[in-house]
Amino acid sequence: MFRHTTFRYLVLAILGAGALFQAFSAGYFGLEVLIEILILAILVLALDMVAGFGGMVSLCHGALMGLGAYAYAMLSSIVGLPPLAALVGAMAIVGALAWIIGAICARSHGIYFIMATLAFGQMAYSYIFQTPIFGGDDGMGGITRPDLSAIGIDLNDSRSFALFCLAGLVLAYLAAVAVLRSGLGRSLCGIHHSEERMRALGLTVWRVKADIFGLSGLITGFAGALAAMHVMYISPGLLDWTVSGEALVVVILGGLGTLVGPLVGAVAFVILKHELSAVTPYWHLVVGVVLIVVVLSRANGIFGWLEARIGARRIFPTHAAVKKVPNDA
Amino acid sequence: MNRFALAAVGLATTFAQPVSADDVKVGLLLPFSGVYASLGNDIEAGFRLGLEEFGADSGATFEVISEDTEVKPPVALAKAKKLILQDQVDVMAGIVSSGVLGALRDVVHAAEVPLIVANAGNDDATGKACSPWITRLSFSNQQVNRPMGSWLHEQGVQKVFTLAPDYAAGHQMIDGFVQGFTDAGGEIVGQEYTPFRKTQDFGPYLAKAKASGADAVYVFYAGGEAISFVKQYDSFGLKADLPLYGAGFLTSPLYVNAEGPAAVGIVAALHYVPTIDSDVNRAFVSAFEEKTGRIPSEYAVHGYDTARAVAEAVKAGAMDRASLGNALRQVSFEGPRGQLSIDPATNNLIQPIYVYETVAADDGLTQKVLAQLPASADPANGCMLSAVVN
Amino acid sequence: MNADVGFWILQSLNALQLSMLLFLLSIGLTVIFGLMHFVNLAHGSLYAVGAYVAAAIATGWGYWAGFFLAPVAVAATGIVLYLGLIRKMRRSGPMAQVLVTFGLIFVLLDLTRILWGDLPLAIETPALLQGRINILGIDYPAYRLFVIVLGLAIFAALAFILGRTQVGAMIRAGVDNDAMAACLGINVERLFFTVFCIGCALAGLAGAVAAPLLSVAPDMGLQILIPTLIVIVIGGLGSLKGAIAGSLIYGIVQTFGAVIAPQMASVLIYALLAAVLVIRPMGLFPTKG
Repeated sequence: MFRHTTFRYLVLAILGAGALFQAFSAGYFGLEVLIEILILAILVLALDMVAGFGGMVSLCHGALMGLGAYAYAMLSSIVGLPPLAALVGAMAIVGALAWIIGAICARSHGIYFIMATLAFGQMAYSYIFQTPIFGGDDGMGGITRPDLSAIGIDLNDSRSFALFCLAGLVLAYLAAVAVLRSGLGRSLCGIHHSEERMRALGLTVWRVKADIFGLSGLITGFAGALAAMHVMYISPGLLDWTVSGEALVVVILGGLGTLVGPLVGAVAFVILKHELSAVTPYWHLVVGVVLIVVVLSRANGIFGWLEARIGARRIFPTHAAVKKVPNDA
Repeated sequence: MNRFALAAVGLATTFAQPVSADDVKVGLLLPFSGVYASLGNDIEAGFRLGLEEFGADSGATFEVISEDTEVKPPVALAKAKKLILQDQVDVMAGIVSSGVLGALRDVVHAAEVPLIVANAGNDDATGKACSPWITRLSFSNQQVNRPMGSWLHEQGVQKVFTLAPDYAAGHQMIDGFVQGFTDAGGEIVGQEYTPFRKTQDFGPYLAKAKASGADAVYVFYAGGEAISFVKQYDSFGLKADLPLYGAGFLTSPLYVNAEGPAAVGIVAALHYVPTIDSDVNRAFVSAFEEKTGRIPSEYAVHGYDTARAVAEAVKAGAMDRASLGNALRQVSFEGPRGQLSIDPATNNLIQPIYVYETVAADDGLTQKVLAQLPASADPANGCMLSAVVN
Repeated sequence: MNADVGFWILQSLNALQLSMLLFLLSIGLTVIFGLMHFVNLAHGSLYAVGAYVAAAIATGWGYWAGFFLAPVAVAATGIVLYLGLIRKMRRSGPMAQVLVTFGLIFVLLDLTRILWGDLPLAIETPALLQGRINILGIDYPAYRLFVIVLGLAIFAALAFILGRTQVGAMIRAGVDNDAMAACLGINVERLFFTVFCIGCALAGLAGAVAAPLLSVAPDMGLQILIPTLIVIVIGGLGSLKGAIAGSLIYGIVQTFGAVIAPQMASVLIYALLAAVLVIRPMGLFPTKG
């Protein structure tokens, strides 16, 4: 189950302060990077909910995010809904699709779950790619951002949009925490520990999994709609399975099952990527090596490592101690 | 918050003045990683060569900033914004994939920065989505194929089966050909579109083409798919009974050596082949070969002519974004491809198209030019550009 | 529309050819999984390495040198990976394995780019297998028939080894219960190592076999990975029967899908995969319940 520790609060405060500082001080490219980090952070939060707390390693979250972007674009520019309504609509659509995928895949475990989600993701990719109304390989443009001029905010300004995304990330984080702390979230952790035990207790296991997957889908859809607003253009590349793979990489890089860790991972991944791609076209090589080293190190990502090191000192309650509480209860 | 944002914008504009009056900043947006990396490298090599040859003559110095688009629209967009807002470039060039071009179009248009398209062939970019700020010096998908349709009919081919990958460029290339071919009186007996970059085996489609009763097959494939396709077409022994024609990317000099003997005899149409018989082209080919050790492809010539166009525009007196954008629409010169000019109605390049056959020579494969088809402008297709300001 | 028999024989051969190519790839992956419970997403990259090595050798010493040496080279790569990485990853969960091998995909992809550049390479069809052979009344490319025969031969050989020999019995015991097999005196570690190397060698062989049919490009490993995973998940992880069944299903669906319903061709196989997973979450022929 998810719990805040002093250390986690501290890291969140540092991240928040860093994001705010960047939002107000960065140049144009810096803002682009910040927005990229914020949107990726929302996606990996959603992924950590299912993968870190429920053991449902999904390789379709990239596709779900892409669907969110397409749903937002279709609802706002083709159906003609106002952008905020389209945002909510996109979240609902992706949430519903995710619920269905979760319900279907709930019976599969381990590698089969990974493959099943991959199959659904690829199905979505092929469908979007081949359907002319979505613009095929060339994608579609002309996507608008919500108009918040009524409250004096111009979202077409990169700085305002970055702050808008930051607010979105805070909301997504609070939502994820609320879900994980609810009865549903506790049931999910129980299932992660022992599915048989929870079934014996009379829990409908597949329902819990599907519900969490659906809620995670809502947040993913939100990230997708933000991505569409950010680039104001969408293409099938958003749904590619390597996007899902990269999202998993970010979760692992940061620290699985910690919610805070993936945020750290998103910051590290995007900055690493930009710094490297400026130096060498072979930056994937370095990312691959870093990933392998992180997984081999047995630490739970950057954040997990920090937590184990720094959290072990007296001033902060240890991660291990925190973990014990629900087990004893 | 808004006050702060405004202050920052103000600050950035003060820095916007060019460092020196005769310094032109060029931003190159090309893929240096991902599936189109080899195209990006060829375009950049051509561009650098062109700048070396024509840059000094223009009276200005040039600063080139290269950015890797990774063929991903969001990445390309972030890099474009960096070039426009942070690096304050005077002109941008590059763009290999039409998807990336689609993503950048609105931004470039709104920011009023001239962009020279050095590859992406999407018809709409100089059609219904055209912009006075976007000038294309490469080709449009239909431009390459339309004249080939009527030429092929003139050669006595009556019935054709078409094949292409199932994505926008594939459809536009084939549509361009079909229009030219049917207008001339030809008949299309079958069409197939194969899943883009997911087709390992073209066998099923080739069998369909064979069973269709066509006189010839016309295809568009590029890159790795072109190699697989040409080899598989040859392995089924279809070339003898069912000659293969196509958009010239099929047997581009960049890939033709990987295709080997399977490519011999294929007749295709393209806007550039390295064997065009002109002094300008021979000079370009030898300069490029000396510099890179390889024969220039059509992609290299896009980069070369793009650099030349920038230099010509500067030479004509353009220095900032607005004047460069305007001057680029009026460039006209004789390049390796022949006489080039920009169509004022769409900002697309008007250029001759070459029909060539891939033939075996002593040192590998080469291109034998069979015909030079006259340059013609694409239909405006919904593009309404204001007239060029002189 | 295409009523004549020859057309359908031709398409059946096409389907079989694609199936056999995928079989060569998926059998290595599936047996490694069955025995070691190890998910190797980089299997496709090993296939790409095989194709590159074959192309590099073929330019100097001809096709057959590449054909025989590529599997050896890829097996050697496999040994390095096994000793350096995979042995340590054996007991980790599927997620850690997926991620480490996902990282390996990045590494191998860029290494091939650094070594061989971004331009696609190709190999000529060997002289012996050029041209076409008349079979069942139609002309079919000799090289494609060679792929079919090779696939079937390897299937037969593996079926014999796994079903009739002592080593096969040991492998089956290891797949069923590796701890018990170790108690019975089987050197399970050595068995794993051998099987892993053979799996890699088969991936390299598939690369060498595919090279004359396709182009040898840096992203070929990524392109083939998804079809291979579909094959083994449909068939059921860990079994020879599953790999051959999955390959045949994939080849038939892709080929006849392309002929009968081209618009649906690429969605069809994913829909089938989803359907199989719903009805039989462990695939058609799982090794254990």
